[in-house]
Amino acid sequence: MKESRPSPPKTFLAFFQWFCHPRMLDYIEGDLLEVYQSNYKKLGKRKADWKFILDVLLLFRPGIIRPRTQPQHFILFGMYKNYFKISWRNLLKNKQYSLLTIAGLSLSLVICILIFGFIKLHLSYDDFHTDKDKIYRVVTELRSTTNSHSGGVPTPLPVLIKERESFAQKVIRTYSAPNVRITVSDSNGAHHYKEAEGVVFAEPDFFDVFNFPLKAGSAKSALSNPNTVLLTEELAQKYFGEENPIGKSILLDGEYELAVDGVLQDIPANTQFKSGIYVSFSSFKTYMPWLSDDGFWGGISSGMQCYLVLQPHVSPREVEDILSDYTEKYPIGSSDTRAYYSLQPLSDIHFNSMYGGTMERSSLWILTAIGLLLLVTACVNFVNLATARALHRSKEVGVRKVMGGRSSQLFWQFIFETAQISLLAILVALIGAYLVIPMANARFNLNIGLGVFSDRYFIYFLGTLFLLITILAGSYPAIVMGRFKPMAALRGKFSLQNLGGFNTRRALIVGQFVIAQVMIISAVVIMGQMDYVLDAPLGFDKDAIVMVSMGDDSRQNKTALKNELVRIKGVEQVSLCNDAPASENGWMTNIQFGDQTEELDFLTNMKMVDEDYLSTFGLTLVSGRNLTHSDSVREMLVNEALLHRLGVPSPEEALGREITANGGNMKGRIVGVVRDFHGNSFHEQISPTLLTSDLGYYESYAIKLNMEDSKSTLAEIEEVWKRDYPNQPFEFEYLDDRITRFYQNEATTLSAVQLFTGIAILIGAMGLYGLVSFMVVQKTKEVGIRKVMGSSSLEIIWIFGREFTRLILLAFIVAAPVGWFLMKNWLENFEFKIQQGLGLYILTLGFTCVIAAVTIGYQTIRAASVNPANSLRSE
Amino acid sequence: MRKYHLGEFEEIVMLTVGILNNKAYSVAVKDEIESRLERSVSMGALHTALNRMEEKGYLKSYSGEATLERAGRPRRYFEITALGMKALRLAKESRDGLWAAIPQSIWNSSYAMDQL
Repeated sequence: MKESRPSPPKTFLAFFQWFCHPRMLDYIEGDLLEVYQSNYKKLGKRKADWKFILDVLLLFRPGIIRPRTQPQHFILFGMYKNYFKISWRNLLKNKQYSLLTIAGLSLSLVICILIFGFIKLHLSYDDFHTDKDKIYRVVTELRSTTNSHSGGVPTPLPVLIKERESFAQKVIRTYSAPNVRITVSDSNGAHHYKEAEGVVFAEPDFFDVFNFPLKAGSAKSALSNPNTVLLTEELAQKYFGEENPIGKSILLDGEYELAVDGVLQDIPANTQFKSGIYVSFSSFKTYMPWLSDDGFWGGISSGMQCYLVLQPHVSPREVEDILSDYTEKYPIGSSDTRAYYSLQPLSDIHFNSMYGGTMERSSLWILTAIGLLLLVTACVNFVNLATARALHRSKEVGVRKVMGGRSSQLFWQFIFETAQISLLAILVALIGAYLVIPMANARFNLNIGLGVFSDRYFIYFLGTLFLLITILAGSYPAIVMGRFKPMAALRGKFSLQNLGGFNTRRALIVGQFVIAQVMIISAVVIMGQMDYVLDAPLGFDKDAIVMVSMGDDSRQNKTALKNELVRIKGVEQVSLCNDAPASENGWMTNIQFGDQTEELDFLTNMKMVDEDYLSTFGLTLVSGRNLTHSDSVREMLVNEALLHRLGVPSPEEALGREITANGGNMKGRIVGVVRDFHGNSFHEQISPTLLTSDLGYYESYAIKLNMEDSKSTLAEIEEVWKRDYPNQPFEFEYLDDRITRFYQNEATTLSAVQLFTGIAILIGAMGLYGLVSFMVVQKTKEVGIRKVMGSSSLEIIWIFGREFTRLILLAFIVAAPVGWFLMKNWLENFEFKIQQGLGLYILTLGFTCVIAAVTIGYQTIRAASVNPANSLRSE
Repeated sequence: MRKYHLGEFEEIVMLTVGILNNKAYSVAVKDEIESRLERSVSMGALHTALNRMEEKGYLKSYSGEATLERAGRPRRYFEITALGMKALRLAKESRDGLWAAIPQSIWNSSYAMDQL
């Protein structure tokens, strides 16, 4: 075989092998080669080649070409049957490993499925409207000395567009009022419902643009007539039970009576319109007269929105050009503020936080990345365990090779095996996801429907995952096993060290630890920041304070009730105010300072408070005195931040100076300076703040309770309150709950990160456990000999421990900067934040070490305590 | 009669298999035909014919040894079955019958023409 033999043209030989009937292939191929040899000797290469080609072409005839149904399938099927049987036996034989791999894979797959459902939901936002590609929202950028963005438009703009412009098929205006109160009266009295999603005032065309199907009644007429309303089925049932809601009436915010004129089908989860109550726009005139005025260019409410359905072939750019005329013609409020309009595609609304979108696209990417990382972690387990286990299968591989199995066949065998396992894992994950989705929905407020399982894309998604796992997890062990030298394999000359590169497996473990540690770092930082924002001193007391809203605007009632409340046992302090020191939405106003005539170019947060406010909330004065009792604006308190913005160097100098606020109709002298307190969440700077008294603006009672018996005190407060306002719902909230709500997003992020971290650790630990138990078996002899030679158990444990400690340290070196960088970015969202201290990283490292130690502990200790006589005797 | 019909090339192939007796594998058959009849035989035609004969039951085959110049591929040896013998004989008899039926005079004249 050593001498080089002439070979016929390869292409034609391959062509022949391809078309020839397998039954005759060997014989005829032999003939061809034989003839070629002799021709080669007689006639030389060129002629022999030609003759060969001619022969091949002449052989291409019906009797010799293979039939179309390929008999080979039959043979391979038998092979697959064998693969299946062998891999199934292997799964059953190594139950521990199989369980570890499949559990890890399905765990990560469940998360992947959840993430898929989540992303699918958010990408499908408002994609079910007929004209979805032509629907745009007009959004505004306000430019004066500072710029701001709003999803709303000035009230008159949509009217002008409708009257004057031709680029839009339809123009609709909506106003959404969040947090409303709905009152439904029946024979049993009045029932109050708090609707956080609020109501939408919509023009008649609304349902022509947005496809929310109607169940009963007419949408057009409902939205054309004043004081009519459409409810979703769900809400209709909530308000009226099984009765026919049409013709009944509801009371909006206790004042505006609306007649139910139609019932909508329930609004799907994937739309930005969360409200289930649609009120005719003509009712808006009475609801908010000042904003609904068609000449109101004084400001922009982000609730006032304008949607356009563009004519075909009109580009948003053209429309923006046309709208730029309105910028100059109609300045907003004071003359130097300009509104620049642009069109936002419908699909962008959900994602663009600049205009009030609630979901960042980047979050979806981060989730995708997390899902993939978890999947990779699980695949790493698989790779590690499979390559370690390959040792046991070297005999099988050897025999297969000796019997003529090719490397490629062995490769495909193991790929097939992996495919089988990943299929199994996918099945388990499907069941798991089915059980977990309702829980996850409740826990994270996700709205993933179980319909996701019947989605066409879900099938593609699962298919992709299946291929991904099979390739990611299967190819490396398959290559390793395919490469076994049959002789060595049969003689059992492999050890873990020279099997498939020990370093590859180390690298994989390091990778796993990196992923886990980055997640741990994130979780620890987020937890630290959450603790900080919830526990850090705010500059005022937030404990034991309950905010009770007022029943009406009557001036006498406000003070009278306050006096009653103070008398209740268990109430320590009561203050009338429009808001607590910290709130999500402040009242921002321009002010004038001293004898300046120009308004200053920053906004000041204004709070209306009475003289008990400082003592109730424990605010401290830096200088001057508290407000004295007053029913209208006379005296003012300012905070240090405001002084700083005003450029007043010392608090004392500010005392006695005059401030004009709220467009000039509030004037007062500064009587004291309050130490800075956090009036917003920690995401924001402390804003300049002004405290002053005006009975007319008070909206709540801030009541400081003695917490010893808060339940009965609250009940008593309610009783007193109800006596004054029998027809109103009693609403209260603890201040610390309200502050916790500032960080709702972060709390959700935290629990998600904790969950992901937990799973990453769990999967990693499972892999580690499998690997260690394997190593222990491999090293039984070594351990025995070492013990005979005088090693202590601790030293034996250290043999295993050393290896993993090194890997963890290595992983930490990679993970720490990555985690630091990621968390630095996350913390950027906060104006007040923790430092990522060294302690945090030591904590992470220690935590990982503990996890690893616990994971490998049992196996190693057991290995170390085996009597060497036993381990050495066994063969 | 029709049942045992043999084509011209088929008959040649079968006869050659008979001649080669025990050593009849495709390349040998091909060489034999080419040397005896001075006509070139394509591998395709030969294999098709051999297969057809085998399917009809006139020939049977068995695998033989593999050699170096065949790169380890086995030879397939053919031998004539009893049925094949019958078909050959029938073919020969029908020819002979035809031969015998030709009038002598034709032979003479054509012989004479050959002489010219």
